[in-house]
Amino acid sequence: MLRRRTLITWFVIGWTILFQYETLRASYLSPLVGRPLPKFPLLFPPAGWIMFYNVDNSYGFAEVYGIRGDEPTLLDPHAIFPIKNVGYDNIRRNVLVSVLDGRRAGNFCQFLRRKFPQYDSFAVVYAQYPDLIETPDRVLRQVAYRCESHAARQQ
Amino acid sequence: MNIAQLWSRAFLERRPSASLGLFRLAVAWTVGCHMIPSFFHMEDTYLATAFKTQNFSFFPAWILRLVEGSPDWVVWVWVVLFCVALAAFTLGLCSQASGMLMTASCYYFYALNNVHIGTLSFDILLVTLVLMCVTGYHGDFLSLDSLRRGKDRPYKHLRPFFIQRLLQLQVAWTFWYTALSKITGGGNWLTDNPYYALMHYPPMGVVRDFPFREWIGQSPTLCYGLGVSCLVFEFTIPLCWFIPRTRKVSIPLGIAFQFMLWATLHVPTIFLFLFPPLMLLFIQPETIVGWIEARRAAHAERDRAVLLYDGQCGFCVESVKRLRVLDLFGWVDPLDFHMQPDLTKLNPLLTPEHCQSEMVLVEPNGQLSGGYQAFARLTRRLALLMPLAVPAHLPGMDWLGRRVYRWIATHRYLLHRSPACQTHCQR
Repeated sequence: MLRRRTLITWFVIGWTILFQYETLRASYLSPLVGRPLPKFPLLFPPAGWIMFYNVDNSYGFAEVYGIRGDEPTLLDPHAIFPIKNVGYDNIRRNVLVSVLDGRRAGNFCQFLRRKFPQYDSFAVVYAQYPDLIETPDRVLRQVAYRCESHAARQQ
Repeated sequence: MNIAQLWSRAFLERRPSASLGLFRLAVAWTVGCHMIPSFFHMEDTYLATAFKTQNFSFFPAWILRLVEGSPDWVVWVWVVLFCVALAAFTLGLCSQASGMLMTASCYYFYALNNVHIGTLSFDILLVTLVLMCVTGYHGDFLSLDSLRRGKDRPYKHLRPFFIQRLLQLQVAWTFWYTALSKITGGGNWLTDNPYYALMHYPPMGVVRDFPFREWIGQSPTLCYGLGVSCLVFEFTIPLCWFIPRTRKVSIPLGIAFQFMLWATLHVPTIFLFLFPPLMLLFIQPETIVGWIEARRAAHAERDRAVLLYDGQCGFCVESVKRLRVLDLFGWVDPLDFHMQPDLTKLNPLLTPEHCQSEMVLVEPNGQLSGGYQAFARLTRRLALLMPLAVPAHLPGMDWLGRRVYRWIATHRYLLHRSPACQTHCQR
């Protein structure tokens, strides 16, 4: 009995310290000591509990255009990732921004060519509302990368 | 009260584990709702053809490399493992082991591709799952494990309280630190007007098109006030969960807050399915036990149904033990018909021959049913058998059930090793 109580006590203390450390590490402890502190792997979010912690007037998102000839067509993001989550829409949680990273371009281009063979090539665009309140209709767009057709790549 | 006593009371005290049994069902439901939809488009989510991203800040690189190399058949094997583990965890079959397997599967798919399931709330779910894996206390109640053990009144099983306490602390800390991050360390909820910005998000943004959104969005002052109210709420409500006098109000308020979040934002359903059950863990387990006991007492005061069984058959005795576990509210009173000197006192139509041939249910209103029909009636009356009520009454089930029951009743002395069986087998 005593052994079990001791084990539980140590577990509770260890868990609590870990929980507090991982919660405070990224935003508070690392700035305090002036260097990034190590993260405990496989548990707890990397930056603490930061749900909607910083929301400003700008809003960035990704657009994907399928191009046939010279004609670009905006692809429905729900057709790109058709997963129907229970009770919420992952696309509206801006899941598509994950494709903007140039290091993932090869993987995403391959994915697009398989899903939308009717297009010759694709353009992945970073779009941004610079100010949702002052200029709600103004959207800035910049091509993040292009997925060329097989023929163009061979040339 | 000194610190040692306080510590003991907070974490070490043995208290009923009924709440954890109920919480297990909520966790299983949440995991299923979050994970299963991602299996419907495997070629887009996990197979070699999918677009994948990996969470390098969560997983060590060697794990990601290992998982990345999974051929498609390995991915399918994990899907099967996940589904089996989820089903077993839901039913409470080897709860701890199935919980571990289910958690391992969640980690596998998270490492394989975090695009579709990886969210901050999924990290919260994983923390919860890891805590649930530490012990098997959640298998004490509402589980096949409790049925297998056959101990009467499993909801009263006493266990050290530390898992439930840590889960309580987890949800409270999550609330507090979420609020703290909004006002310090990069958070802008006091310096700017984030709620106002959210109300102006584009149609494809995270904010739902809920009633009054446009009206709220017209007033920066109102939006700032709502934002600050959210902060105050997130700071104060967890404190109220720990205070017995404010608990009754603060738990529904916390649940309403989560519902409001889900109704206004496209947050994962983990917010709706996991957080409210976490808040319900603040209800004292003794309160739940007291409520069940009160229902049992109420049934005991009224006439209870009687189930007559063959007490000389080991299989029947074992089945009745399990029936007592399933009869949460004490609706039925199992009686060995051999011990009843005059069966007609219970019901004039009863005979020893009838009771010998099948179990007989005598309901408080005098209605008699036997064999499969009695079982089907029980599924409508016993709380823990109710999930079987619909399948038991499907067309054709009566025909099939009667035949299966008849076969079992005829061979019941062969189905269990007991001295009684041996005696009867020799007959």
